[in-house]
Amino acid sequence: MRILVVDDESLNRFLLIHMLEEAGYTDCFEAESGREALQLSEKIKPDLVLLDVVMADMDGFETAPLLKKMAGDIYLPIIFITALDDQDSLAKCLEVGGDDFASKPFDKIILTAKIRAHARTRLLSKRASKQNEELNYFRIGVEREHAIVEHIFSNALTINKTVAAYFDYRLAPASSFNGDLFLIEPSPSGGIYFLMGDFTGHGLASAIGALPVARAFQAMANKGLSVSEMASTINKTLMTLLPGDMFFAAVIAEIASNGHQFTVWNGGMPDLTVFTPAGEVTKHFQSQHMALGILEPYEFEENVEYFDANIGDRLIGYSDGVIELTNVAEQMLGEDAVLSWLSESPDLPVADIEEKVEAFRGNAEQLDDITFVSYTCQSLEALRPEYTVTQLPFNIEVDLCVEKLKTIDPIYELVIMVCSQLGMQSIRSDLSTVLSELFNNSLDHGILHLDSTLKKTTEGFFEYFDQRTDRLAKLKEGSIQIRISFAPENKTLSVELEDSGQGFDFQNLGGNHDSDAFGRGIPLIKELCESVEYSSNGTKVTATFAV
Amino acid sequence: MSLETQLSSDEKVLTIHMEEKFDFGKVQDFRDAYLHVDEAVNTIVVDLANTEYMDSSALGMLLNMQKTMADKISTFKIVHCRPQVAKILKISRFDKKFDLS
Repeated sequence: MRILVVDDESLNRFLLIHMLEEAGYTDCFEAESGREALQLSEKIKPDLVLLDVVMADMDGFETAPLLKKMAGDIYLPIIFITALDDQDSLAKCLEVGGDDFASKPFDKIILTAKIRAHARTRLLSKRASKQNEELNYFRIGVEREHAIVEHIFSNALTINKTVAAYFDYRLAPASSFNGDLFLIEPSPSGGIYFLMGDFTGHGLASAIGALPVARAFQAMANKGLSVSEMASTINKTLMTLLPGDMFFAAVIAEIASNGHQFTVWNGGMPDLTVFTPAGEVTKHFQSQHMALGILEPYEFEENVEYFDANIGDRLIGYSDGVIELTNVAEQMLGEDAVLSWLSESPDLPVADIEEKVEAFRGNAEQLDDITFVSYTCQSLEALRPEYTVTQLPFNIEVDLCVEKLKTIDPIYELVIMVCSQLGMQSIRSDLSTVLSELFNNSLDHGILHLDSTLKKTTEGFFEYFDQRTDRLAKLKEGSIQIRISFAPENKTLSVELEDSGQGFDFQNLGGNHDSDAFGRGIPLIKELCESVEYSSNGTKVTATFAV
Repeated sequence: MSLETQLSSDEKVLTIHMEEKFDFGKVQDFRDAYLHVDEAVNTIVVDLANTEYMDSSALGMLLNMQKTMADKISTFKIVHCRPQVAKILKISRFDKKFDLS
């Protein structure tokens, strides 16, 4: 506690300082005039000033405000020492900035009590000032961090422009960070995936979960995974990341490559609705699940809904920020209002819907993030991945003798050979299935003479495979030739198999019931190929693919 | 090599994870995966997340499982089908016999 004593009478200064020392205040300085007091306090920064009123060179009334100014924001107690006792003078002491006064002659007990009281206030003021400084420092830090995070978000959450062109959408965050999330990705099969979701709350805390969700969604979309798997994976991710009171309501959907078939998983979002061009509602995808990030993986339900709409139909989705929007009269907008707008004008653009929403809100504050998404069923032809297909005509011929038939499975390697050619990757899965079917038919029926009807019963099903193993082991003669050729002019891949067997009744191989565990092969090939043709009594078969 | 299986914590759901290929080469493994399940199991889930292609014998194996286990198991689910695999299941009208997702 550093005290500055200002008085032009040296005796007074001596008495005061002596008294202060006795009271334990040993860090004392003295000044003879107001002017000296100002110069000194700049150097010594006193914690309290005892100031005489009447002095020759700058009196106390003049000095007090200047001392206060010098002390800045921190409270510097000034106690006037005065022999004056008229009310006006005493009042003036306080008016010019003094905080208290002590009358001469001094009462030691009163004066030290006053000093202690003012010292406490100065301490409080010092603390507040320090906290203020820290707060300011912190605020600048937060602003800087926000700027960085905003930068990361704007880069991580960019929406693929090619697919975004098929959507009409608006996102309106309630604060600078959005707890609503809208993502679109093309699927490898030529369709579109989209995710529309809403984290609990809004602002940075709720937006932070968007990063892992976006990354996982993009990676899974690239792989062409199913909507249900996406839902359960994102749930698992959020389960480990989010605190218990935070979750993510979301719609995850796939639009098939034909542009009008939807697969939807809805957990906790308002309905997705399908409108015909006449404004009639043909489908509500209601929320069938809890939001993501709540249920443990074993409790999680991933079942999805399918719907086949028509070209020209419109799929509409929005976050609860739209329907829970409240106007000045504290009325909520509600789902019915939105749906009735769309029933009346089925082709109302999202910008116009937003305008209506804004008009309803009026001057009321927007309390939650708002997202509005619209997709009109259309051809997605342009999204079909462009494969550059090889210009080389090629042939792969394989002659499998008995030994090879016994020891190797040729399908896997043949598929790799074909699909390593430019542009063939697109038929990989279909080619695998078809080759496997044709080869097994030739081997099982043409060469091993196995009877499919054996598979009618459960025991027979396994008996069939036992017989197959057995007969193959004992096989003495037989061969299968496989020829795969590609004609670049018409982009046709043809697969031809010929076996050395007796042929088989390829027309009656089919089972008659859905529940038969056999006879599905040929109908399946017919669906997957352009054409399938058996000849030479079933010993030869040719299937063609359009690449 | 046997298939990866997994029992839910309440021991009611058995999940069988199929590999990249699901064809007749898996007949024995697939059967082993479900044949000796515990009494408590009432649901079998076949997870096709890793399956890139299947052929008609796989379809036969699925139906056969359903027939064999019908009196023990109340629900059969096929989950995580990729689009190509889903197409084959749909062509074969498996969506009518199994819970597909």
